[in-house]
Amino acid sequence: MKSYQIKKSLMNLTPLFGLAALFALFLLIGSSQDINIGYGLKSIINQSVVVAVVATGAIFIYTLGSFDISLGASVAVSALIGGIVYNRTESILAMLLVCIGIAVFIGLFNSVLASVFNLPVFVTTIAMLSVLNALVLVLIKVNGTGSEIAVPAAAVRPLNNTPFKIMVLAVFFFLSLFIFSFTGVGRMQKFQGGNPICAKLSGISEKKMAVIAFAMSGIGVGLGAFLSIIYAPTLTRNTASSVGMDVIIAIVFGGMPVSGGARSRIYAAVIGAFSMTLLSQIMVMFNLNSGIGQMVKAAIFILVVFLATSDQRSRMLPR
Amino acid sequence: MKKVWAIILSTAMTISLLAGCGSKENSEPADAGSQQETQEQAESNEVAELDMSQKVKMGVLVSDATTAEALAFRSYYTEYIQNQYNVELVYSDELTDAAGETSAIDTFITNNCKAIISFSSFDRAAQLEQCEDAGVYYAVATGTLTAEEYETYKGYEHYVGAIGPSLDIEFETGYQMAKYYLDQGKTNFAIFGGAIPYYTEMHIYRAAGMLTAMVEAGGEGASYKGATDKDAIIGQIFADGAVETGAIGSINLAGYVGGYDMDDAWFGKCAQMAQTPDLEVILAVGNGSDFFGTAAGEGVKIASVDAYASSYGEAMEAGMLDYLAGKFSASIGPVFIASYRAALGSPVRDGEGNALALSQGYWVATSAEEFNTYFAVDSSVEAPAYTKEMLDTLLTADYEAFEKFVSQYSFEEIQAMK
Repeated sequence: MKSYQIKKSLMNLTPLFGLAALFALFLLIGSSQDINIGYGLKSIINQSVVVAVVATGAIFIYTLGSFDISLGASVAVSALIGGIVYNRTESILAMLLVCIGIAVFIGLFNSVLASVFNLPVFVTTIAMLSVLNALVLVLIKVNGTGSEIAVPAAAVRPLNNTPFKIMVLAVFFFLSLFIFSFTGVGRMQKFQGGNPICAKLSGISEKKMAVIAFAMSGIGVGLGAFLSIIYAPTLTRNTASSVGMDVIIAIVFGGMPVSGGARSRIYAAVIGAFSMTLLSQIMVMFNLNSGIGQMVKAAIFILVVFLATSDQRSRMLPR
Repeated sequence: MKKVWAIILSTAMTISLLAGCGSKENSEPADAGSQQETQEQAESNEVAELDMSQKVKMGVLVSDATTAEALAFRSYYTEYIQNQYNVELVYSDELTDAAGETSAIDTFITNNCKAIISFSSFDRAAQLEQCEDAGVYYAVATGTLTAEEYETYKGYEHYVGAIGPSLDIEFETGYQMAKYYLDQGKTNFAIFGGAIPYYTEMHIYRAAGMLTAMVEAGGEGASYKGATDKDAIIGQIFADGAVETGAIGSINLAGYVGGYDMDDAWFGKCAQMAQTPDLEVILAVGNGSDFFGTAAGEGVKIASVDAYASSYGEAMEAGMLDYLAGKFSASIGPVFIASYRAALGSPVRDGEGNALALSQGYWVATSAEEFNTYFAVDSSVEAPAYTKEMLDTLLTADYEAFEKFVSQYSFEEIQAMK
């Protein structure tokens, strides 16, 4: 029994071991190949933080066994409207609040829409993806130069530093960790995701859980949008176009079961986001062309997910 | 217990990453002293002896990794330049936005790339600032900065410069393309506007060149929406984000499609335009044959601006392409040399210490034979248009010699240099 517990704990920590192994590999290769490790670490944080923040919020949705495909588009719309607001008010605070406000509104709209039409949330997010992508084009056309909306780089440069980004990530991560692991909301979400029927019979409101999940996700998206503007203040129709897919990969890479439920882990997002970026950096160190690099990344991705979920497959509750 | 472990390990990871960010290696902005040195070097107009014994790593930013043009450029760098010089060229993934550019530059700097050659232009100013802050040389390939941008950045220590078609060259390219058919007496045209709806300057200038030629050929009183000169026409396209169809004097602009939506509706519009009754010529600001070649009615001539790739030769043989203004792959040779020199400590500067700003044009082929002649040279990895021997002359060239070399870009001039 004890050896089973140890094995289980080790399996649960596989994504973390994966991250540690990638980190060690990065340092090892970096030392042997004349790599600027200090700059590299800063670069890894810069490249991971938006996905990590958005994915941390999205964990709440995934825990319910649901799925939001519109997160990247939501980041783009929030960032564009935030950028427009900055250009009119010249207030960073207003830009931050608008980014979060718009993202939370989009998230809540998704969950309410699902409730009104009694549809799986995933279905409404597919529709929302189209709407948001169209909105991106409209916003750029109406308020930008036609191809972009640019926030003055000088305005956001003071915030474009690693400590600030880590602070934003840490604050949101620990807030999410607190809600997820130390409050009834987190427990109810895991219950809801693990067995919706039992959760319903126990008096847990599915709609209330969805609203909370999308609100938390919205905060993550809003912060991600804000950080996106800080990182690259020229916003185009392709802004955050890869974030949606990166979030999904990061969450799974971090060891989060796609079925949600009791085995959900709030830290999966951060581990996954940093693992992905480290892997990309290592591919560049080997100067692999993007095609081979993508294949290697895919193979490692499957290996990590296989190991991380190997103790779950045979014991999955019927749903 | 698991929660505690999770918190401890996550915190440890965060702290370790944060701690690693303390290094200031290669991240200090250029100091005044080193700028002064650059100025003095330019003034003395002496070219330092280059030590090429160490392999130099250079990053290449690309926003396009699959088109004929992109593949031709990549082939020249990876299959020719990299084999001739002691360099390692590291390519970015296909970039889609300014954030991607920033990330890619970060990755290059991490990998100790000494110079970055950029084919990506979502936010050139941000790229330039980032490289200057990190002390990495930065060059623009196949493009130029706007006059305002150049004024701002020409004195940056780590800005190597830009070599590529200027906006005036882009205008002239469109103008000459339209004039070629107007001189043949063609009067019914359609324009493919490419990235005009996204306000891409080079496409707007090419289209403006086409329209200007039509205004000139349209007879007395001809105008494009009331505009009769270059600047007014450019302004009109910028205002509309599109080209409007209609009569330009005696010339009929019968069709227009813009954008790269690539969905069924967009391809439907392309097909509809290609089959416009009485249409004689489709002038494309980019690739025209791929989008209109099969759909175009019999006798409709298609003209494109792109690069020398085998697919265009096949299109010309098949009668789906009549005119090609194409970049030649070796055109990016001089910007490589400029970047390489900078990385080796000998940047090219004008008499006032400013970075390169040189314009380059296209090779124009109007028949399959002409295309094949150009393509044979352009696609060669043994003896491309700019060979090592030719490029080596730039290793010690001053600004004026560099400028003269780049300005002789026509096929005949380059062949004469060999």
